[in-house]
Amino acid sequence: MPKKGTKSKKVVDDVANEQENKLPDYLELQRTRVVCNADAPIHTLGFQYSGAFAAMGVDNSVSVEKFCKNFKVEINRLTEDDIEFDMIGVDASIANAFRRILIAEVPTMAIEKVFMADNTSVIADEVLSHRLGLIPLDADPRLFDYISENDVPNERNTIVYKLHVSCPKGSQRITVKSSELEWLPEGSQLSMASSAQSGDKQKTFTSFSKSQKQILEKPLGVKFKDITIARLGPGQAIELEAHAVKGVGKVHAKWSPVATAWYRMLPEVVILEEIKGDNAEKLVKKCPVNVFDIEDLGNGEKRAVVAKPRACTLCRQCVMKDDGQKIELRRVRDHFIFTIESTGALPPEVLFTEAVKILEEKCEKVISELS
Amino acid sequence: MDPQQPEPVSYLCGDCGAENTLKPGDVIQCRECGYRILYKKRTRRIVQYEAR
Amino acid sequence: MEHGSLTDLSASTFSIMEEDHTLANSARFVLNQDPRVAFCGYSIPHPADRKVNIRVQTTGDPAKDVMKDALQDLMVMCQHVRGTFDKAVANHKSKKSAEEMDVDRK
Repeated sequence: MPKKGTKSKKVVDDVANEQENKLPDYLELQRTRVVCNADAPIHTLGFQYSGAFAAMGVDNSVSVEKFCKNFKVEINRLTEDDIEFDMIGVDASIANAFRRILIAEVPTMAIEKVFMADNTSVIADEVLSHRLGLIPLDADPRLFDYISENDVPNERNTIVYKLHVSCPKGSQRITVKSSELEWLPEGSQLSMASSAQSGDKQKTFTSFSKSQKQILEKPLGVKFKDITIARLGPGQAIELEAHAVKGVGKVHAKWSPVATAWYRMLPEVVILEEIKGDNAEKLVKKCPVNVFDIEDLGNGEKRAVVAKPRACTLCRQCVMKDDGQKIELRRVRDHFIFTIESTGALPPEVLFTEAVKILEEKCEKVISELS
Repeated sequence: MDPQQPEPVSYLCGDCGAENTLKPGDVIQCRECGYRILYKKRTRRIVQYEAR
Repeated sequence: MEHGSLTDLSASTFSIMEEDHTLANSARFVLNQDPRVAFCGYSIPHPADRKVNIRVQTTGDPAKDVMKDALQDLMVMCQHVRGTFDKAVANHKSKKSAEEMDVDRK
């Protein structure tokens, strides 16, 4: 895939110079850009087939070498819980695969089973359980195994939390926050009813062979300490144990490691014909995200210029009516602005590398199935 | 346990929340405030739920 | 699982269980970029079944080999994406910590 400039307005002209035969400008535009007209976008599909331009002597294939040469990543923002980066030189199908994997297939830990010993609060047991399930846990899923239906919960596949709160009679009502969830590194403390009489060691709901403190470097907890779980009136109490296991988002959204992961194609705003004077002022005012700015040409003349194309939301205000024909809104087909918001179990940059690894594993699995 | 002598069951008053222990034949009335609606206590048996 | 004819190896349908658009669409993209491929597409026969069918027709090479090559290419591409991304993150982090030191000095 030829290299694509991002800022220059005449990109369309200089992209194809690496190739022996050049595509005509209008085809190159169709190939590399989606044009967003006032009514609907056009050229949305692009050219997928490697031999699409064979008759013109232009190669449309992407070899791995070509891909590696053109692929670029630029980080725009990286914080503890979110990341925004530009991914350049990649097809939407691949970018979308990463997005889909991030949402549905990167594992995390979440509460799955709740053992309720007491709940006299107004919130129903199943609603309370559901709320517990949605709490983001501060546990690295890479340190744990999946548990299957017949597995015994042990220190490698289960995290146990206890919640024991009560509101004394005669006091004000209290709010139960997620910080009240207490991690039990030694496993369950509740004994199973059936084995209560069998003398020796009381059987609990887990069988930990050693404390999780020995396996993990830092204590486990919840990511956010201020999530309201329930409210208790005077005399009410909640006593329960919650077991968290490893899972993926496609089974239940509580296991999704991201609040959201999304991408958008890089917007490109091109002024085809000069817009001057009052019309320029009008254009600047029309754009709700201030993509345009005014350039002073001296001698009192003013001209509209594109100042912040990245801010463009493609609302298409500017291409409707008045000077609409003088402006073209485009999106660069292989330039993605990718944003990942983590829920906290893993930092966002780690989530992305995990997602890529998962796609690799998928390929490997199918290759070995075919061999 | 003797079936002829059932264990007394404790109830909670619907008005003041006081605990009342009732045997068969007792008047259904709170001993503290005289309220006539009594509720059974929640079980202490462990109930398992799926957090979904 | 591969469905193809015994006499003509150049066209096959691969039906893959427990996969969806994530893999199928990426694979279709990579296959389409291969000059040996004459036609390629995928479908999910029923949204409730966890299965995709990927159809590959080549200009002569065995479809299975082309499919395997495409997946291999996709894997190499992923590795490159990961490498490039990790480098960019490391770069960004070092740049950021350098900037913070500048702020402290002022």
